[in-house]
Amino acid sequence: MSEAKISRRFFLFAAAGASGGFVIGPWFAPEFFDDRDSSPTQSKEISLNAWLRISPDDVVTLISSQSEMGQGVMTTLPAILAEELGADWSRVKIEFSPVAPAYANPRINWQFTGNSESTTGFFELLRTMGASARGMLITAAANRWGVSAEDCSTENGKIIHQPSNRRLKFGDVVEDAAKIAPAANPKFKAERRWKLLGKSLSRVDLPSKLNGTAVFGMDFNLPGMVFAAVRHSPVHGGVAATYDKSSVMGMPGVIDVTPIPNGVAVVAQSFWQASEALKSLKIVFDDGANAELNTDGLNGQYKTALAGDAWKTVRTEGDALSGEAITGKYSDVFSQEYESQFLAHATMEPMNCTAAVTDDSCTIWGPLQGNQLAQLTLASALKLPLDKIRVNRTLLGGAFGRRLLADLPLEAALISRAVGKPVKVIWSREEDLQHDVYRPATLQRITAGLNQAGLPEALAHKVVSPSILQFVYGLAVTEDNDPSCLEGLMETHYAIPHQRVDFKLLKIGAPTSVLRTTGFGPNIFAVESFIDELAFRAKTDPYHFRRRLLNDHRAIKVLDAVIEKSGWRKRAPQGVARGLAITEAFRTHIAHVVELSVKDKAVKIHRIVCVIDCGVALDPEICKNSIEGGTVWGLGAAFKSNISFKNGRTVESNFHAYQIPLMPDTPPIEVHIVNSGVQGLGGAGEVGPVTIVPAITNALFALTGVRYRSLPLSRYGLKLS
Amino acid sequence: MRKINFTVNDETVSIEADERKPLLWALREDLGLTGAKYGCGMSICGCCTVHLGGDAVRSCVTPLSRVEGKTVTTIEGFSKDRRRPIHQAIEQAWIEIQVPQCGYCQPGQMMSAACLLAEKAVPTDADIDDAMSGNLCRCGTYQRIRRAIHRASELVAKGGRRK
Repeated sequence: MSEAKISRRFFLFAAAGASGGFVIGPWFAPEFFDDRDSSPTQSKEISLNAWLRISPDDVVTLISSQSEMGQGVMTTLPAILAEELGADWSRVKIEFSPVAPAYANPRINWQFTGNSESTTGFFELLRTMGASARGMLITAAANRWGVSAEDCSTENGKIIHQPSNRRLKFGDVVEDAAKIAPAANPKFKAERRWKLLGKSLSRVDLPSKLNGTAVFGMDFNLPGMVFAAVRHSPVHGGVAATYDKSSVMGMPGVIDVTPIPNGVAVVAQSFWQASEALKSLKIVFDDGANAELNTDGLNGQYKTALAGDAWKTVRTEGDALSGEAITGKYSDVFSQEYESQFLAHATMEPMNCTAAVTDDSCTIWGPLQGNQLAQLTLASALKLPLDKIRVNRTLLGGAFGRRLLADLPLEAALISRAVGKPVKVIWSREEDLQHDVYRPATLQRITAGLNQAGLPEALAHKVVSPSILQFVYGLAVTEDNDPSCLEGLMETHYAIPHQRVDFKLLKIGAPTSVLRTTGFGPNIFAVESFIDELAFRAKTDPYHFRRRLLNDHRAIKVLDAVIEKSGWRKRAPQGVARGLAITEAFRTHIAHVVELSVKDKAVKIHRIVCVIDCGVALDPEICKNSIEGGTVWGLGAAFKSNISFKNGRTVESNFHAYQIPLMPDTPPIEVHIVNSGVQGLGGAGEVGPVTIVPAITNALFALTGVRYRSLPLSRYGLKLS
Repeated sequence: MRKINFTVNDETVSIEADERKPLLWALREDLGLTGAKYGCGMSICGCCTVHLGGDAVRSCVTPLSRVEGKTVTTIEGFSKDRRRPIHQAIEQAWIEIQVPQCGYCQPGQMMSAACLLAEKAVPTDADIDDAMSGNLCRCGTYQRIRRAIHRASELVAKGGRRK
């Protein structure tokens, strides 16, 4: 029945392999796609730079260096190129880049998708590439016409000589254009003339995601591919000591059983056969050093660390008094502890990766954020030169930091090498949740010395956290510091003369890594709870209290906007209260106001209002969708998501236990955008969940007088209704 | 292993498989229809939702023995049939409201939404919350799904998509 469809898909992948990229069918005319399908080599594409190619028959191909995980980046970044180039957006083709130096994030010269910095990191570069290619096309056309390039412009895929209204298609001059040296500092299009940026475009990945043709890692297919189901040591860090291969070798479809780091893989003709066989495989695990790991013990470890000495002082402002010094000096001192929990990524698409390893090469296809780390890891593990490792990206069914790691590529490659066939490894949901690398729990104490008006003059903040960057950007981590754990604390917009931040990097038996919001999430929960506590102590409206302390004009504008949009000044209805939080995270200013009521521990959120200033929302609708979704993510982090440990194992094994927000949990969420200008460009992917969490606990305090300083709120029996 | 016959997206198929094999993996591995997704394997997340004889079922826990002789619709065949105005309206509304982010759960969301609209042409927010509470979305697109269901309901009332 679906023969035609399948072979067509195989063909697309074969073509993708040949060109080093991955062809995505955007929403444009199917006949165009069919043409490309049936004769991909019909027309020679000419590169004007690493980011765009044009064929003589006028097909413009734009390269996306960044992985598409739902954040809309394969629409927004190519739109920057198309805007400057003057391309016909309805006809461009978009490809993901291979791993190559040209596609590195310029800030750190590293190829990855994360840290909410795809737009901020690539905006200038892509404008330059688009504008420089536009200059080459214009010069080629002007030369042909014998006119001045000054009189020419581009629009909808054509070069136009204004005085004579003559036109040439990009394809007509691309061969000549390629011979022209690109300008070093091409002039950018004025923002007021933007036709794509600042507008809401229809996402290029959307039609395929609604008709079943989108190819996530899970859907990728290769002829002759086999499947692996895996089981890792239930205890973190343990290994499979022995296993009885013969117990499953006769089972239907089973091809092999092979060791992997920390576990065993069963390889079969189909994934279902592999997972059925895995259920019967007898494995003896060696638990290793972490068999005693449990949540109570970890809590004790955190408390001991917070109470102890040997802090690393990471920030000093003014007199930089310690908490003890503040207590000695000020007559009015306030001090509190805040605690955030371990979280799992729980991407809807469970972990997977496909690899085809031969004696002298390795090619992988998968939903990856960390494509360069994957290449380096595979080259090192397989002892192959970098140029023999080819990393191809599919669409990502969620990522949130989890897919920065190279563990899946490595596992797939090792299994493929062992069985001598292309292999797709798929983790069950249980493996996914119980062998995640978790958002580390943190324990923090903030101490403030207050003046007579109740405003903080000195603030000391202590943070205890395990590492965030260790597995994904180890270069930045030292024996006693991890900058990601301190995000949001190193520069604040509250005018407090004396400030000090002390840090303790905790070593624990559970694996921890990057998860949406990174350090900002736990740190801003603590800061915005604390500021709120000070406001109530000073008998001052939380808005006025913050307004008095804020010293940044963008922050003030966002704060004022959220107050106005939420109707903060109007009295809330009987039994309803509002909470507020604001911060700058990932270079974006954001504020949330939550309106809620409580009945018998059931919290009803009536309305959420959010204002963000990310410089310019390059695509307002994509930006809003991301902030809405981030806000929903924050509801989970605030109320119900929690990872716990027992006997060295992660307790939560599937969505019945690791709970994430549902449709009925989702209140109306309004997102308002303040555009302050492109020089202040910020990210929108991770900031959504940051301020919603303290806004909720602040609203609960305003309503009930009870301050919740430990997450998730299910610890107190509170739930969403 | 035995021959199992059923209908998928209006075409008759015959596959040689273990009758305990879940429909999800038969669709994905035997028929190359990868629109229905694996998410939890326990009927919790709804990513694998397809229509079986017109009802939304979790294909990850539906053995082929239950599918034999029946009619299955997956996302690949969802909006192709003009006799199903609800399906076409759902696809159009999902595009108008730009619902998806990562998109992995959306085929399942659309499948569940179609059954809701077939049962209740003009659902309230409460109806939607109730009918959709078994379809998880980690990107948190719920508000847009809710809006899109209302919009699809309107589109059906207006006579569906004009081509």
